[in-house]
Amino acid sequence: MTTSSPVEDKRELRVVGRRLPRVDARERVTGKAVYPADLHLRDLAHAKLLRSPYAHARIRGIDTSKAEALKGVLAVATAADFVDLPFGASVTMGEGSFDVWIVNQANMAREKVFWVGQPVAAVAAVDVHTAEEALKLIEVDYEPLPPVVDLAEAMKPDAQVLHSHVVTKGVEPAPRSPSNVCSLTTISRGDTEAAFAEAAATGEIQVKVDTAHQGYLEPPVVVAQVDPNGFATVWASTQGQFTAELMLARILGLPQSKIRVVPLEVGGAFGGKIALHGEAVAVKLSEKCGRPVRLMLSREEVLQGGTGPAAGAMIDIRVAADKDGRLTAIKGTYRVDAGGLPGMSPSLLMQASAALYQCPNLRLEGYDVVTNKPRTEAYRGPGGIQAAFAMEQAMDILCQRLDMDPLEFRKRNASVTGSLMPIGTPFPPIGLTTILEEVGRHPCWTEPLQPGKHPRGRGLALGYWRGTSMTSAAHVTIAGDGRPMVTMGPVDISGTRTAMAQVVAEEFGLSIDDVHVSTGDSKSVGYSDVAAGSRVGRTTTAALVEACADALRQLRSRAAEKLQSRPEDVAYANGVFRAPGGAAISLSELMAATLGEGAIVGRGVSTRLPLGVEIGAHVCDVEVDPGTGQVTVLRYTAFQDVGRALNPPAVEGQMQGSVVQGLGWALTEGFDYGPDGRLRNASLLDYRIPTALDVPPIDCVIIETPVPNVPYGVRGVGEVPIVPVAGAVANAVARAIGVRVLQMPMTPERVLNAMHAGMPS
Amino acid sequence: MKKLIQCTVNGDEHAVLADPRDTLLELLRDRLELTGTKEGCSNGNCGTCTVLVDGEPVNACLMLAVEAPGHDIVTIEGISRGAELNPIQQALVDHGGTQCGFCTPGIVMSAKALLDAKPRPTEAEIRHAIAGNLCRCTGYDKIVRAIAAAAAVVAGE
Amino acid sequence: MREFAYERPDSIASAVQLMQKPDARPLAGGTDLIPQMREGRRTAGLVIDLKGVGELTAIEDLPDGGLAIGAAASASAIARHARVLADYPAIASSVRLIGSVQVQSRASLGGNICNAAPSADGVPALICYRARARIAGPEGTREVEIEDVFAGPGRTTLKPGELLAAIVLPPPQPRSAAHYHRFTPRREMDIAVAGAGTWISLDEQGRISDARIALASVAPTPLRAQAAKKRLIGEAPSRALLEEAGRLASADVRPISDTRGSADYRRTLVSVLTARALAVCCRSLGVEVDVP
Repeated sequence: MTTSSPVEDKRELRVVGRRLPRVDARERVTGKAVYPADLHLRDLAHAKLLRSPYAHARIRGIDTSKAEALKGVLAVATAADFVDLPFGASVTMGEGSFDVWIVNQANMAREKVFWVGQPVAAVAAVDVHTAEEALKLIEVDYEPLPPVVDLAEAMKPDAQVLHSHVVTKGVEPAPRSPSNVCSLTTISRGDTEAAFAEAAATGEIQVKVDTAHQGYLEPPVVVAQVDPNGFATVWASTQGQFTAELMLARILGLPQSKIRVVPLEVGGAFGGKIALHGEAVAVKLSEKCGRPVRLMLSREEVLQGGTGPAAGAMIDIRVAADKDGRLTAIKGTYRVDAGGLPGMSPSLLMQASAALYQCPNLRLEGYDVVTNKPRTEAYRGPGGIQAAFAMEQAMDILCQRLDMDPLEFRKRNASVTGSLMPIGTPFPPIGLTTILEEVGRHPCWTEPLQPGKHPRGRGLALGYWRGTSMTSAAHVTIAGDGRPMVTMGPVDISGTRTAMAQVVAEEFGLSIDDVHVSTGDSKSVGYSDVAAGSRVGRTTTAALVEACADALRQLRSRAAEKLQSRPEDVAYANGVFRAPGGAAISLSELMAATLGEGAIVGRGVSTRLPLGVEIGAHVCDVEVDPGTGQVTVLRYTAFQDVGRALNPPAVEGQMQGSVVQGLGWALTEGFDYGPDGRLRNASLLDYRIPTALDVPPIDCVIIETPVPNVPYGVRGVGEVPIVPVAGAVANAVARAIGVRVLQMPMTPERVLNAMHAGMPS
Repeated sequence: MKKLIQCTVNGDEHAVLADPRDTLLELLRDRLELTGTKEGCSNGNCGTCTVLVDGEPVNACLMLAVEAPGHDIVTIEGISRGAELNPIQQALVDHGGTQCGFCTPGIVMSAKALLDAKPRPTEAEIRHAIAGNLCRCTGYDKIVRAIAAAAAVVAGE
Repeated sequence: MREFAYERPDSIASAVQLMQKPDARPLAGGTDLIPQMREGRRTAGLVIDLKGVGELTAIEDLPDGGLAIGAAASASAIARHARVLADYPAIASSVRLIGSVQVQSRASLGGNICNAAPSADGVPALICYRARARIAGPEGTREVEIEDVFAGPGRTTLKPGELLAAIVLPPPQPRSAAHYHRFTPRREMDIAVAGAGTWISLDEQGRISDARIALASVAPTPLRAQAAKKRLIGEAPSRALLEEAGRLASADVRPISDTRGSADYRRTLVSVLTARALAVCCRSLGVEVDVP
C-alpha cells in the first residue's frame, strides 16, 4: 500500500506512542476524582422523578397539590414548566442537528407516555426520603392504551400507532397514514436477485437481538444551581457540555448566555450520556426553589426507562458466492427497535456490516421502528454489533457451504484502499489485508484448538466502524514557568487527557509531566461536539497541533525580540529558542521575562478532519456445556488497526473493555420486557454484566496504518472493538455444537434450545 | 427519629446524626463527606461502594448506618497516607487498571481485603475476589495484572 | 423507604420480647432485607438487629458431636470455620455461592432461610445434612427440620413473634458426602436458575446405603426428590444410575417460568445438576463416575 506518510511520521517520537500511565490515574485510585454526586453544596435540595407505570397511556391530568403541601417539599415541576416544542423542532449542533421535540418528550411526558419509566413530574425536597414520599402524593390521571412492545408487531399495517404525526420517511410516494415505521433506508447497487440465481453457494440467517444497556457504573447525576440573576450552572456527567447547553437552552427557553454546563468526571458513558437525563428538570427545580438541586437516578431508574438502552433488532441477511469463493451478492433487511421515540436512520450500521467485503451486488433495507419501550440511545458503534452478529454469521455459513477456510474467504473478498464502500465512494487508505495477514500468522489462529471436556469451537469475525469527525476546539496557554496548560473542549471518556498531554509534550519537545490538560466548561473553551463516534482523540490531536503551533508562533516572536533576531530565524526545540548566532532563551526564562506582556493563547480547532475508519478482526475459542448450554470463552484475541496508538495501554484498555461489553451482550446481557412493556430484569443482578470470572484475558494486537493528512495518522479506536464480538462468539459456538443460535444474547437456555431443536429426533 | 451514631472510620471517631433508614454508604458520603466510596446500584450488585468492616469487604449500601458502632470501618480515603499510594493503588496506576475510575475505589478495597488475607493469590483467586466488583471499562485484564503485581510488591519480590 | 425504629438487643430473651411488637422484623446480615425495604417489598416498623446477641452469631460444637450455627453468623465466618470445613464441607462451599465476597461478609444462613427464596443457595446442603432449625419464641425453644421452615416464596412457618436462633447439625456420618451444584448464567453474583444438593452414604460393598436430594429454584419451597433417592438406595454408583436419578428428580419438580429461566429449562437443569452433584459426592468417597 502506498500512502503519503505525513511529515510527523518521519521524526523520532519521544512521548507519543509511549506506554505512559494516565495523568489522572492517581485521583482515581485514591477516590479523589470528582463526579457530580460528590459535590457538596450548602443547602442542597434533593430531587426525584415520578415515572410512568404504563408503557402507553394518555395523560388526562396531573394534580401535584398534595405533594406541594407536604412538609419539606421545596418545588414541583411537570411538562407545563418546559417550552412546548412542536414536532420536528430541531437545534443545530456543530455539523448536525438534533430533534428537540424528542429531547423534550424524554425530559417530561406531555399528552402521552410512550414507555414505562418516562418522566411525568418531579419534586425537590429537603432530603431524598421526603422527595420519595412526595412522589406518592402526585395524582396522575392516565388513560391506558394498548402497548405495542414487540418489534414485528409494531411494523404490522394494523398496529396501534404511537405517534399520530409520524409518517414513514424514505418511501415514494409519501404514505398518507401514520406508521410506527419512522423511516426506510435503502442502499443498493447491481442486481442481487440475478446474483443469487447464479450463485454456487449462499448463506442466510435471520436473527433477533435483544435490547441491551450501556451499563456504565455511574448512574446519571446532575447538580444544578440557578443564581439570583437567573444564571444556571449545571454540573453533569455528560459526554457533551456544549450540546447539553444547547438542548437545555431550547427546552427551558433560556438564552445560552444564561447557562454554563460543567462536565465533571464521567463514570462510564459509552454513548449513553449524550442525551439529557434530568438536567433540565434540576435547573427548573433550582430556579423554583432558589437552592442548588441534585438529581440522582437510581440503578432501577437507569434500567427501567430512565435512560435509553441500545436498540434491539431483527436482521435477515443472505449472501452468495461463486465457486471460487468470490462474494457476488449481499442482501440485508435491518429492523431496528428505536423504543418510544423515533431513532436514527439505520444507514450507518447497514453500511458497517457490508463495508469490509468487495461485492458487486448489494441490497440493504433498514427500518427505524418505534415501540412502547424506553427510547434508545447510542451505545459504542451504535448498531454495529447487532448487524455484525447477523452478517458475520451469514458469511461463516457461506464459508461452511463452500467448504472454505473463513480467513481465506475474508482475504479473498476483503475491501482494500480504493475499493467501493456500500454507498459507492472509494475507501480511504485501510489496512484490512494487513490485519488478516496478522491473524493468519498469530497463534490464536495457527494453534489447533485443544479438545476439552465439552465441545469446542473457534470463530472469526470482522468489524468495521466509520466514526465521525465533527468539531473539537482547544487552547494552550503558557504558565509563568513556561509549561503548556491545555484546555480542551471534548470531554475525556477514554483517557483523552493523557493522550493529549503526550501530543502537546511532543509538539513542545517537553516531558509529559510538563503539560497540564483539562476539559473546559461550556463557557471557557470553544464549541466542541460530543465525545462520541471515535472522534475525540483524532480531532483533539489535530486541534492541539494547531494550537501548539499558534502558541509557538507567539512565543517565537517574543523570543526573537529578546534574542535580537527575527522570528523566522529563531529555531525552537525541546523548550529552548535559539537565534542563528547561538544566543538562546528557554521557555521558562522567556515567560518569566515577558509575563507582563499578556497571555500567550494558542488556539486550535478541528473541523471536517478526514475520517479515521476503524477495522478489527476478532478470533474467539469457546467451549459449550451440552448439559446446561453455558458458553465459556476460553481465549479471545482482538486485532485492530488504530493508525497510530498515541498511548498503547489506553488503546488496549479500549479494546479489552469493548470486547468484554460485547461478550456480555453476546452471552448474558439482554432486556426482558413483559407484554405490558415493563422490564423484568431491571437490576444488575438479573441484567448480567460480565464479572471478572466470566471472561478470559483479552489479547490485543495493535496494527498501525496511518491516515494520511491527519496529525500522527491517528484512527478512531473506541467503537469498532465491540462490533465483531457477538459474531465471533456465534461462529465459535456454531462450530462447537453444529447449530446456530439465532437470538442474542446467546443465553445458556437459548443455546440448549438450539441444540435440542437442531438434533435429529 | 434520628439517632446519634458513634463510629470509627479510618481510625477517626465520629459522632453523627443519622436516620435509621440511612445506609452506611449514605453516612460515609453525605454525613462524613467521604465521597471516594461510590454508589453504583444501592443493591449490593455492583461493588462500587465496597469498604472494609473489621477487615472484611462489605457493600456499604447493604449495611445500615445504625449498624456501624463498634466496628472498625476503612474506606478508600483510609488506605494511603498523604501522597504515598498503597501498593495496590500504585499498581493500578502503573498497569492502566483504572479507566473511568468509578469502580476503582471498590476494586482497591476488595483487593486489599484479598491481599491482607492471602498475600500470594492465584489469578483465579484474584478474579474471585473482585467478582463482586463490576467494571465496565477495562475488561478486568489490567486490573487483575495490577493486583498480582501489587501482591509481588507487598511480598517483597 | 418507610420510617422504622432500630433496636439492638443483647440476649435472645430480649430479642424475643422485642419481636412481640407488631410490625417487628429481625435483621441479621441485611443483604436481603435492606434492599427489600428500600424497594418497598418488605416493610417494618421496628428492625431488631440480632448481631448483638452472642449466641446468634456463634458457631458451637454440640455434645452429641454435631454443630450449631447461629442464625446470624455470616457466610464468611461459616465458610472458614474449621468444623464446617471438616465435617460439613458442602455448607462451606454453598454459602460461598451467596452473592459476592462482599455479600458473604454480611449475609447469614438464618437470613438465607427466613428470606425463604426458593433459590436460596444455602439451604439444599442443610437439608442434605439433615439440619434442624432451632426456633425461639415467647413460649421457649422448639426444633423442626429445616425443610419444614418453608411455607412458600418469601414465607416461613415461623409464628409471629418467633425467631430462628440456630441451625443444628447432627454429627457427620461415616462414608458419606454431600455436594450442592447450582446453575447460574454468570459464574458468581447471580441467582440459581436451578440447584441440586445431594448426599449419599456408601456401605461396605460400595453400594449407596442412603441418599438425600434437595432441589432449589424449582418449586415454591426447597424440594426433596424422593423417587430419585429411592432409586439410588442399594445400587452401586454408575453413570447410568446417576443420570437416571437426575431424570427422576426432574420429574418431581414444579418450576415456574420467569426472567431467569423457563420451567422446561429448569427441569432439564435439575436432571443434569443432580447427576453431576451425585458424581461429585461419589468422587469425594473415592468412586469415580464420569458424568459429562
